[in-house]
Amino acid sequence: MSATERGEKGTGHASADVADLIPMVRRIVGARVGSHPAADDLVQETLTRVLAASDTIEPGMLEPYAIVTARNVVATMWRDEDRKRRNRHRAIDLSEPETPEAQLVLDEEQSAMARALGRLDERERRTLLEHEVSGTDTKTLAESAGSTAGAIAAQLNRTRARLRVEYLLALQHVEPPTDRCRPVLIALSSGDHRRQREVRAAQHLLECKDCASLSQPLLERGQQREGSLRITIAADPDIVAARSAAREVASRLKFGPTELTVIATAVSEVCRNIVRFAGSGEVVIELLESPRRGLQVVARDAGPGIPSVEKAMSDGYSTYGGLGLGLPGVRRLMDEFALVSESGHGTTVTMTKWERNTDDE
Amino acid sequence: MNGGPALVSIMRQGSNLIASVHTALDDSELVRFERDLVDQIGEFRSRGVIIDVAALDVIDSFAALTLRRIAEMARLRGAVTVLVGIQPEVAFTMVRLGIGTGDVPTALDLEEGLEMLARTAPHPASGADGRR
Amino acid sequence: MSDQQQEPERTAAGEGEHLLSQLVAHLREHRTRLREEWAQRIQQAHLLNAMTPQEMSAETTSVYDNYVEVLETGSVEALQHYARDLSERIIPRGVETHEVVGIVLLLRDVLARSLFEKYQRDFGLLNEVLDAYEPAANRIANTVAVSFVDERERVIRQQQDAIRELSTPVLPVRERLLILPIIGVLDSERARQLTEQLLSGIRKHRARVVVIDITGSPDVDQTVANHLVQTVDASRLMGASVIITGLSPKIAQTLVTIGVDLSKMNTIGDLQGGLEEAERLLGYTVTRKEGGTSS
Repeated sequence: MSATERGEKGTGHASADVADLIPMVRRIVGARVGSHPAADDLVQETLTRVLAASDTIEPGMLEPYAIVTARNVVATMWRDEDRKRRNRHRAIDLSEPETPEAQLVLDEEQSAMARALGRLDERERRTLLEHEVSGTDTKTLAESAGSTAGAIAAQLNRTRARLRVEYLLALQHVEPPTDRCRPVLIALSSGDHRRQREVRAAQHLLECKDCASLSQPLLERGQQREGSLRITIAADPDIVAARSAAREVASRLKFGPTELTVIATAVSEVCRNIVRFAGSGEVVIELLESPRRGLQVVARDAGPGIPSVEKAMSDGYSTYGGLGLGLPGVRRLMDEFALVSESGHGTTVTMTKWERNTDDE
Repeated sequence: MNGGPALVSIMRQGSNLIASVHTALDDSELVRFERDLVDQIGEFRSRGVIIDVAALDVIDSFAALTLRRIAEMARLRGAVTVLVGIQPEVAFTMVRLGIGTGDVPTALDLEEGLEMLARTAPHPASGADGRR
Repeated sequence: MSDQQQEPERTAAGEGEHLLSQLVAHLREHRTRLREEWAQRIQQAHLLNAMTPQEMSAETTSVYDNYVEVLETGSVEALQHYARDLSERIIPRGVETHEVVGIVLLLRDVLARSLFEKYQRDFGLLNEVLDAYEPAANRIANTVAVSFVDERERVIRQQQDAIRELSTPVLPVRERLLILPIIGVLDSERARQLTEQLLSGIRKHRARVVVIDITGSPDVDQTVANHLVQTVDASRLMGASVIITGLSPKIAQTLVTIGVDLSKMNTIGDLQGGLEEAERLLGYTVTRKEGGTSS
């Protein structure tokens, strides 16, 4: 596209005019998508379209044309994203494969999907297929089932969550080793955090190898959630990675340089305990909105656990030196600190730093 | 030390060694740094060691412990260690966490650190008998 | 000055200008009388009470002269400069907005009245003179009011900044020496801010010695005492020695209670002594013996 633009004579002054539009286009796009990663692309796209059409636009109309174009470009992106979001639950890519190997993979996927569908119960399967394949909307489905649209939508979500899990199991040809596995995987698949806590999903993933690997694609789906980050801790470099990530996430809030350093250091300490005493574990860094804005760090492992939490947490307020687990120091660094440890089942540290009130800066 | 950009550089200047940490180090890298530095202190019979940690955005308990251990090993080999460049936020965090540098002297930056070494060791070990 | 150059033919605008210069000449000629009359009116209106008679006389004279000058030149810059100058001189004396607007309006009226007197015989000319005078006078009043309010806001902002700074001041006394006087009640939030400011102050001023004077802080609870100890430690990590002055027996007791080893802290009775000790640390080359701790 850029080759034709450059090839044409007389676009010299037009491109200068278009260049003048950049700040305005940027503003329009910015107002609609904020700091969306695609913002720059949208600006470029708009300018390219305006430039391409600049010869046919009457003088003085360039600006209004650019405004309309920018709006259209943004709207197109939202439509695309919306479609992607609606289709995100689909586990297979429906586009045509290009190579023979891909065809093989597709066949494999289709048979896995067929097996997965077979494991759903009859009613679930029928509703899902009617909705997804025949395109019957939830309201009509609700009427024929004597239910409400909301209940049908919730049921569909649960079915999709199960289907994803069954599909993954079928594709990998595994049968989960314990009866805790399925509920955990379904909870992860549905992205239902309360349910995940109920079935102690995070704990189970640390203990069950099969689920840990099966859950990867399920978690990646949920990973898009704004301001939440999960980092696996297994070796020394992970400690540095986790604390940099914590600093990065925290910097989205109104934390000063000292607080960022305090957070990074606290994360460093708890991660080290994971590597030293449990071998491996994970850290979840999350932005909190309520009751106040803040940053929460959950560090979890399935290690031997701390024999005496009380002892681990006491070092007197101002005694320096005795390093131990460093947990009392970490508690001093953070605003909230909770330690749960179960002998043989690992340790979970949950700690929070609240955003400071704004009036003192 | 090994492949890739150097994480740490150790320079010899007269009877002093100047070690600058260039980036965040993980625990194994800290341990390697400790070993390298202590080796060189012995090899060059240094009288003074400056460790510049200005590039460290986090000094946690392990890093502090390592730095103290280096200073102690240096002392056993007859060298004085000065720690320079601890950032304000890092200093604040270290004391909140309850860690310090023990008896290891500190200075604002490299310049101050060199001056402190000059004050501490009045005769630069130009003579052959660097040791007592 | 300009009343010499009278020319018979003028355009409408030129006519106004001509009248203005006549007017200016009149105001200059009767300067003493008009100024006194104005000052009297100001007194009657109970304006500028915060000023002594001498100040008032000096101020009114200069305000009067500048006013006439602005009328004469008619330039916007001169007017704004006049208004700013007036505000800057008058605000520090605690003059209120209504007073400033009041005196300028009074001056406008005093001068208008003198014009009535002068031209009362020739009603047509009086009208023309007032047509030239009134817009100019109103513009002056307007600009003065706006500028005064602006200036006042600026001063208030400046004062607020100064107060904010003062509440946690880190004062560079001389090269490499900072004083941190702690005044008033410390809560842990303020203590935290204080520590942060001190630490960045140490880097900024390349301080080697810090004197923390807590004479002005009557009460230090355990949390704050802890903070104080941490501040000392953190300063040391940045290579600065800390001297604490004005430590009351009560605070010393608190420090001991929380387990602080006072012998490890450099405490001096009063600020004067603390400064002397600081000078000694800075001027005198401190010899650090191996293995010893000198702080």
